Amino acid sequence: MGQQIVHRLLISFPALLGVLFLCFCLLQVVPADPAMIIAGPDAKAETIAAIRQELGLDRSIPVQFFEYILRVLRGDLGRSIISNRMVSEELAMTIGPTVELMLGAMLIAVPSGLALGTLAAVNRGRLSDRVIMACSVAGVSMPVFFIGLILIQYVGFKWALLPFTGRTGPVWDGGLPSLILPALTLGAVLIGPIARLTRTAVLEVLGADFVRTARAKGLRETVVIVHHALRNAMIPVVTLIGLQAAFLLGGAVVTETMFSWPGVGRLAVGAIVSSDFPTAQGAIMILAIAFLSINLLVDVLYVYLDPRVRRR
Amino acid sequence: MSVDALDSGFVKGQETGSFARAGVLRRLARDRVAAVAALALTGIVLAAAFAPWIAPYDPYFTDLTKVMQPPGAAHWFGTDNTGRDILSRVIFGTRNTLMLGLVGVIVGGLIGGVLGILAAYYRRLDGWIMRLVDVMLAFPAILIGLAVAAIFGAGLAAVVIALVVATVPDVARVARGAAMGVMGQEFMEAGRAVGVSDSALIWRYLTLNCISTIFVFLTLRFGQIILIGSALGFLGMGAQPPTAELGMMAAQGRDFLFMAPHIATIPSCAIFVIVLAANLLGDAFRDVLDPRLQT
Repeated sequence: MGQQIVHRLLISFPALLGVLFLCFCLLQVVPADPAMIIAGPDAKAETIAAIRQELGLDRSIPVQFFEYILRVLRGDLGRSIISNRMVSEELAMTIGPTVELMLGAMLIAVPSGLALGTLAAVNRGRLSDRVIMACSVAGVSMPVFFIGLILIQYVGFKWALLPFTGRTGPVWDGGLPSLILPALTLGAVLIGPIARLTRTAVLEVLGADFVRTARAKGLRETVVIVHHALRNAMIPVVTLIGLQAAFLLGGAVVTETMFSWPGVGRLAVGAIVSSDFPTAQGAIMILAIAFLSINLLVDVLYVYLDPRVRRR
Repeated sequence: MSVDALDSGFVKGQETGSFARAGVLRRLARDRVAAVAALALTGIVLAAAFAPWIAPYDPYFTDLTKVMQPPGAAHWFGTDNTGRDILSRVIFGTRNTLMLGLVGVIVGGLIGGVLGILAAYYRRLDGWIMRLVDVMLAFPAILIGLAVAAIFGAGLAAVVIALVVATVPDVARVARGAAMGVMGQEFMEAGRAVGVSDSALIWRYLTLNCISTIFVFLTLRFGQIILIGSALGFLGMGAQPPTAELGMMAAQGRDFLFMAPHIATIPSCAIFVIVLAANLLGDAFRDVLDPRLQT
């Protein structure tokens, strides 16, 4: 098991290097000279040259890339052009809210998806199955912002049930109400695919011999479904959740922008709009690394859930 | 296996599936949901293609005496904050949104398909191509869109690049999987034995036998690609005003959500309808052409 995890880590290394290289390129190919932006429009040539030297922009690209990696390893991602704060500080402030939002979305999506998918599988061919599956196709086809717009319009504005802009604080410090609508928006997109796959997986498992054995032993139907069928059906579902991580991150960027949620995605979008390249590359790098980590985590979880993978 | 079949490399009834298989359209037509989806999508595509003739008003004409009018007889979908006709803008916006999706899927499908098939055929390229694919997979599409927009500035080009890069790795994986299956078939070996050139083997034997799997996968992806494109538009990374693009229109309408909810809701609904029709049709195509892709 340990060996497999090490192997998986080794595979992620080139991907991580690719991520770093692309983020580095982002700082290289920007149309404007960062030194000129920092120096301002009226700066003298000597000032710009001094800043170029200070930033190491006068050295060759491979050397600059190597130095960039060293800086990233030290946690130095440069300084925001707009706020003049360290990018690492900006990121430190925004990572928490993003993680909170994604966890919140998962907490809504995974149990509902599993429950709906199992319900559909158990009632295969009946009305409830058809309704759940129709809703799941509709859910998959809905833009994240559409769900957000509806929730803001009705739950937030018309019925004034929950706040819909910003974050009032961490969940444990009275921030829960402000998290509900963004998490619901982001989670809603995931319920459909999870329900759909759970249904397929549970249907497949329900026909298996061990389920028949469990029933023959006289176990209660709920025990058969929850302990025998659902647990085995979890393997493809966990993979799907990993595959949806990209979707979740992308959705988080949109959701954060919609709800003015102070997360990494909103930071990235704001930085791009205001041409704050150091912040943009830092935010994009963190999001890409988060994505790589989620995939890694899912693979490890996969090994844990499926003893067959462990033995291979 | 007949010599003709061997020569064309395109074996009818091969388990990889083929368009030549009789009755595909008939089976599709029998599926009522698929038929409705196909009809809706055809209507949408036709409306988008003939937008200048169909749109009742000029999508860019502003009329400040008619701002934020709710849907009514004169303007079926109402007017936006500058008095532009939303129906006309939705028709033109659909055109841009569909174009983005199509270009993304076609270009990404071509590049990904070629990479996947080459990886399956030339085993020594396999490791390199698949590592490249892994690296590409490390970037969710929205992030690529953000990065490209950061480098070259926001615009339709940024979205197209993001959509292509988002399509390539998945298609490459599917194409490689399908091509590996075909590589194990007897007719590949037979083709080699009779001295068919590499290029002919790759194109006539391998590609033609993988194409339906790739096609089905692309139709399944099309809806998602449209969703990603419109999300980037919504974030302001895509089409810039006054160009009509559905995601961007929804974002603009957001500022007037409480006064005139239809400005944001109608373009969002349009995206939903397009993606729903594409997804339903994609599902039906999969069931008929390549049931093995079923999840």
